[in-house]
Amino acid sequence: MSTYERISQFVVDGKEDDVINEINNALKAGEDATNIINKGLLEGMAIVGEKFAKSEMFVPEVLMASRSMNAGMDIVKPLISDSEIHNLGTVVIGTVKGDLHDIGKNLVVMMLESAGFKVVNLGVDTAKEEFVEKAKENNADIVAMSAMLTTTMAHMEDIIKACQDAGIEAKYMVGGAPLTPAYAERINAIYSADASTAALKAKEII
Amino acid sequence: MIIIGEKINGSIPVVAKAIAERDESLIRERAKMQADANATYIDCCASVEKNEVETLKWMIDQIQSVTDVPICIDSPSAQACVDAIPFCNKPGLINSVSMEGNKVETIFPVIADTEWECVALLCDDEGIPKSIERRMDVFNNIMEKAKEYRIAPSRLHIDPLVVTLSTDEEALLSFVECCHQIRKAYPDVHITSGLSNISFGLPMRKYINLPFMVLAINAGMDSAIVDPTNTDMLGVIYGAEALLGIDEYCLNYIEAYRDGLLTKKEL
Repeated sequence: MSTYERISQFVVDGKEDDVINEINNALKAGEDATNIINKGLLEGMAIVGEKFAKSEMFVPEVLMASRSMNAGMDIVKPLISDSEIHNLGTVVIGTVKGDLHDIGKNLVVMMLESAGFKVVNLGVDTAKEEFVEKAKENNADIVAMSAMLTTTMAHMEDIIKACQDAGIEAKYMVGGAPLTPAYAERINAIYSADASTAALKAKEII
Repeated sequence: MIIIGEKINGSIPVVAKAIAERDESLIRERAKMQADANATYIDCCASVEKNEVETLKWMIDQIQSVTDVPICIDSPSAQACVDAIPFCNKPGLINSVSMEGNKVETIFPVIADTEWECVALLCDDEGIPKSIERRMDVFNNIMEKAKEYRIAPSRLHIDPLVVTLSTDEEALLSFVECCHQIRKAYPDVHITSGLSNISFGLPMRKYINLPFMVLAINAGMDSAIVDPTNTDMLGVIYGAEALLGIDEYCLNYIEAYRDGLLTKKEL
């Protein structure tokens, strides 16, 4: 097993200390920081995403894996310049106004980050105006919205319209329990059923 | 145990379809099924984008055409809850208030001098409080408001809001601690929970939900939003109450068995 494979496997297993040790050893041995990120840490999270989508891994394990990946990132990111960091695009994401559910949305954030997106997480109960402001400020490629309630889901259409009225040129993604592909299509957004699918679809549309 | 039957909710796809098509039989069937399973209230949640009050009226009419079990009006909109009260033949339960926005001010004055009961969630404009102390602050604020509107503690069903175990290992422990503190302060208040949130993100969720029920009953929970036709859940509720000495001579447990509530129906 190569050092990258070991890092990747430790991420999948959620072994934070092992990830840190392996990366420190790899750096001592002169391995390239960018490769550690792409072939080690992100590769590990990609496997986690696939396993999660197939119900072979579960939320607590995904959280452990993500924590391990971030511990590794903290070591290697300072060693490379911003331009070397693989960036597929910027996603501004939040749970819509009146809705406090964030587990699913946070999983999407993790999957997008591990897929190589820069993610601006607006948290829960996010007003339309904040989506517009942050999408503009960060020059968002994708605006992503989450809702757990049918009643709050209705805000998504308004948010998309407000972004368009403000001249923001972005793609729109939606997800959450009450969402259906038909509803998403009606409001000109892209629907994903789970966090791994969301990352895959984001890559497709970017 | 006060059982709030959860099977008529527009967030369930087959129910959403029945609502959209105004399919009376599906709603009536689910109402009858839950009444037969001894539900104390039948929860009624439209979960629609538009015409919520009109939809609630239609749903309540269907439920009341087959049973006189009181309705639990369920909406995130306090105004919709209040507007649906006149459709009910008898006082029921409002689901729910919290310290968010003007929910309390919208609902409490309307039910002040009635027999209506009310679910109260322990969250406020800042969301679900992280610490037990903050959650108890919200609880005390709600109890103060209830007193102001002459709503006795026995008409309130406090939902301490269980969080998800898969993202918080202390989810159950915090819930239990809240229950203890609530019970100590107000022996007559009801404590309720939607409970299935506890098991989100984990496989074989029933093995989390069922033990949760036992531990919560032990902590003083006496009301729950569940599927009353779930014989495993019903069995665990009646069994736990018998074990905890809140079912004299185990009569409720025996009666539940005799009524067929604990045995799976052949479909």
